[in-house]
Amino acid sequence: MIKVSPPKWADRFLEWYCNPSLLEEIQGDAYELYGRALKNRGRRIADMQYAWNVLRFFKWSNIKRSSSQPQPSLMMYRNYFTVFKRGFLKEKGYSFLNVFGLAIGIACFLLISLYIRNEYSFDRMHSKADRIYRIHEILQSDGVGERSASQPFPVAEALVNDHGSQIEKAVRFFNFQAPTLAMATIDNRKEFNESRVFSTDSTVFDVFDFPLIEGDPKTALNKPETIVLTESMARKYFDGESAMGKYLKFQGNTNLLVTGVMRDIPLNTHFQFDCLISLRTFDEVYDPRVPQRWHWYWNPCWTYLLLRDASDAPKLQAALPAFVKKYFPEFVRSDVTMELFPMTDIHLKSNMDYEIQPNSSLTTLYVFGSIAIFVLSIACINFVNLSTARAANRAKEVGMRKTLGGQRMQLVGQFLFESILLCVLSVVIAIAIVLLLLPIFNVFAEMNVKTIVLLEPFYLGVLILLPLVVGMISGMYPAFVLSSFRPITALKASPNRERGSMFRRALVVVQFTLSIVLLVGTGVAMDQLNMLRKSDTGFTRENVIMIPVTRSPVAQNYKALRNEFLRNRNTVSVTALEEVLGAKHQVGNYLFEGQTDSRPFPRLTVRHDFTKTFDIPVVAGRDFSEDVITDDSLALVVNETFVKQMGWGSNEAAIGKRFDNLPTHQIIGVVKDFNFTSRHQPIRPLVLQLNTTLRAFDVRIKYMAVRITGEDVPGTIEWLSKQWKAQIPGWPFEYFFLDSDLEKLYKAESKMSKIAMVFSGLSILVACLGLFGLSTYTAEQRKKEMSIRKVLGGSNAHIFVLFSKHFFSMILIANAVALPLAYVVMKRWLESFAYQVNINFGLFALSALVAVGIALFTISYQAIRSANSNPAEVLKRE
Amino acid sequence: MKGTYLGELEEIVLLIVGILYQDAYGVAVMDEIKHQTGRDLNISAVHTVLSRLEEKGLLKSRMSDPTGERGGRRKRIFLLTAAGKRALENANEMRNQLFNKIPKVALQFGAA
Repeated sequence: MIKVSPPKWADRFLEWYCNPSLLEEIQGDAYELYGRALKNRGRRIADMQYAWNVLRFFKWSNIKRSSSQPQPSLMMYRNYFTVFKRGFLKEKGYSFLNVFGLAIGIACFLLISLYIRNEYSFDRMHSKADRIYRIHEILQSDGVGERSASQPFPVAEALVNDHGSQIEKAVRFFNFQAPTLAMATIDNRKEFNESRVFSTDSTVFDVFDFPLIEGDPKTALNKPETIVLTESMARKYFDGESAMGKYLKFQGNTNLLVTGVMRDIPLNTHFQFDCLISLRTFDEVYDPRVPQRWHWYWNPCWTYLLLRDASDAPKLQAALPAFVKKYFPEFVRSDVTMELFPMTDIHLKSNMDYEIQPNSSLTTLYVFGSIAIFVLSIACINFVNLSTARAANRAKEVGMRKTLGGQRMQLVGQFLFESILLCVLSVVIAIAIVLLLLPIFNVFAEMNVKTIVLLEPFYLGVLILLPLVVGMISGMYPAFVLSSFRPITALKASPNRERGSMFRRALVVVQFTLSIVLLVGTGVAMDQLNMLRKSDTGFTRENVIMIPVTRSPVAQNYKALRNEFLRNRNTVSVTALEEVLGAKHQVGNYLFEGQTDSRPFPRLTVRHDFTKTFDIPVVAGRDFSEDVITDDSLALVVNETFVKQMGWGSNEAAIGKRFDNLPTHQIIGVVKDFNFTSRHQPIRPLVLQLNTTLRAFDVRIKYMAVRITGEDVPGTIEWLSKQWKAQIPGWPFEYFFLDSDLEKLYKAESKMSKIAMVFSGLSILVACLGLFGLSTYTAEQRKKEMSIRKVLGGSNAHIFVLFSKHFFSMILIANAVALPLAYVVMKRWLESFAYQVNINFGLFALSALVAVGIALFTISYQAIRSANSNPAEVLKRE
Repeated sequence: MKGTYLGELEEIVLLIVGILYQDAYGVAVMDEIKHQTGRDLNISAVHTVLSRLEEKGLLKSRMSDPTGERGGRRKRIFLLTAAGKRALENANEMRNQLFNKIPKVALQFGAA
């Protein structure tokens, strides 16, 4: 009879898992059944049946468990803890470096993630947030014009009328496009220029959830001349008395009845305000004497739509081109595109002209996110490195435990336990650091995050998983490598110290690579920021005082006031203009010679002496002159880019070109290009228009600009203020300096580079802590070798070089990897700017040098110590 | 009485071990259950029940002498212990008692 046996693999599997004491009977029964099946049903079936049986036997009660290994008892854990505590205290320095380094890393990570979380929380507090859309108007012809976040007045109503099946409610916000508006109590005891005043439709409380403390949201803004204040504003004007039913004087001429008080607006909304005035108060702005088409042209209203269903958005978007065609005046119809934009995306993704407040950007978040991960990885690498290095010293303990009957798995458990415990300790310290720093960080990053968010599932998850994962990884090497030592080798000699050192070196290289990338990145970002801030914008920013004048009595007294201002010998020149020069501009439609249709162009309305005040050279023709009365309305001044774009050849050729199809309307001058917006954008064509009418002060002329010499600044301002009070009584004199206001344009970059600087500094610190720990460890290991070398005649310098050589090579490798990497990354980042700083290679050299320098400094402490140590001291200890 | 409670399958296996006397080992028990009750059990299930009964002290076991079959492997032969015998008697008795307490009328189906 041919001996046929069941499939080998199944048999082997059975023998592998089965408890030896049960194996014989189980295997016996299985064989018996196999034999039977073989006889009755053939080989294939028998094989399959056998495998099936083996599988069925694979259950907990049959599985091999090494009965010789006791379950670690509580007592054993107490012993681990004692050993851990002793080890921790014995090498305080190491332990401190180790735990503290990781704690810093985790704290950085937590803080940055809190920041990112806050950025994502913008505008989500409204219960209908997912259905709220803002509508944008893009008015562009050949890429020139504006991408506006706001809309003409009638758009909201027309949209609700035409698309009521999709739009539930619409609300507009309007602020006269004025930087500040005057507000006062009736008795004039308190008067302030308020910058966060909006007038809005009564639907505002249906669309947004701004909770009213007092007043009825349904009726609060129904009537003209009503106002709803925030708590702080109510407190500011009424000193804790109830504001309800009282009056506030707006712009010195309108009394507004307080009909509601609401909670202060949270910081994580894309715009904040202190009060809301009913928009019906300003029906006069919507002047019926002005032709309808102008109402559809001027677009100062931020318009928000509450859709019935968020999924209607694409349908509504598709209907917008027809809407534009139906309502917009003919001369802009072909240039206007309307766009629905989800409100919750505004803070991170919207980058339009005329945003209510500057937004953040996704890029910034990505940058911060990478910094957070960089710092955390550096800290973790550190921890792993130091732990593994230290563990090598414990080979003797391993040998001893094994000799006394310790099982390998017990040792693995012990090492993992220790490193996880260490990580937990770091996490605890990290949380303490976060709790301590959060108030400062909140101010720094302009947010208001409460510590309670650390109890959110995400953070709990991170705080629990992180020590487990990092602890596992760092415990892995000692746990599995050391525990595999044969006790005799472990006890006899110090184990081969080269074990695991390749791994550690690789990690150090990674660590320094990340640090150098951060260093270079921070440097380039700061360079770029400085370039944006400091470089020549083509006009004078220093010593220019800007005075907001929208809708103020200055309209009547402008000339007198100007003359009074000019009487001071420190006043150089006085003018008035539409927007903060260098920050903002408006857009106007003009039809120039050679064009068939009017097109939108960036525009600034100005008064005389504009070029003189801002020191902008006129390169052809002449500036507006007070001697030529027709300059107002019949003349325009343009910039060089304008001339280039029109293809008129030379600046001189532009002089006398007609506009608006009338021979009397002419371009009279060309000014040298200057940056009339932030340097995020290139210089575009610009039209300067003179407007000396009184009505201009309603919306067109918003600031007076006074350039002074810079001598006796406080005295000059005092003088200006005195003249103001004499000419414009009962109106607060407020002013700001142009240059400091323009700094705001680069706030995002400035904030980013500040935060990046702090964290890249920390990452270098953490990396150095690690390097210090490692070098200390190496010094310890090679003490004897160094001493013998000295005895045999090695010089101190020789020993020093020998010691720092391999650290040095690691840093060099890190440089070689990091510098090209940083170059590529920063090149990409710079591409998002219109004006890019040339990447300064000196910076690269500097970063490399700094990294090498700091590293060398860190190492040399140990290197010098081992070089200077007395061989006799070291060697006698054997 | 938790310790001596017998599951239905446990009771059957216990009975079969009694029937097979001296020949009760895994495969034989499985075959006999099939033969007596028609139930198809997997060998691993039989092993599980047998070892559970042994843990409860209702069965004891010894290894047989090796034979040429089964690749020379020994069988584990199960025998009833005194406790096992008592458990069977108890189960049997309880069942009879309970059955006898059913009112006659409840069993007369034709008359209703």
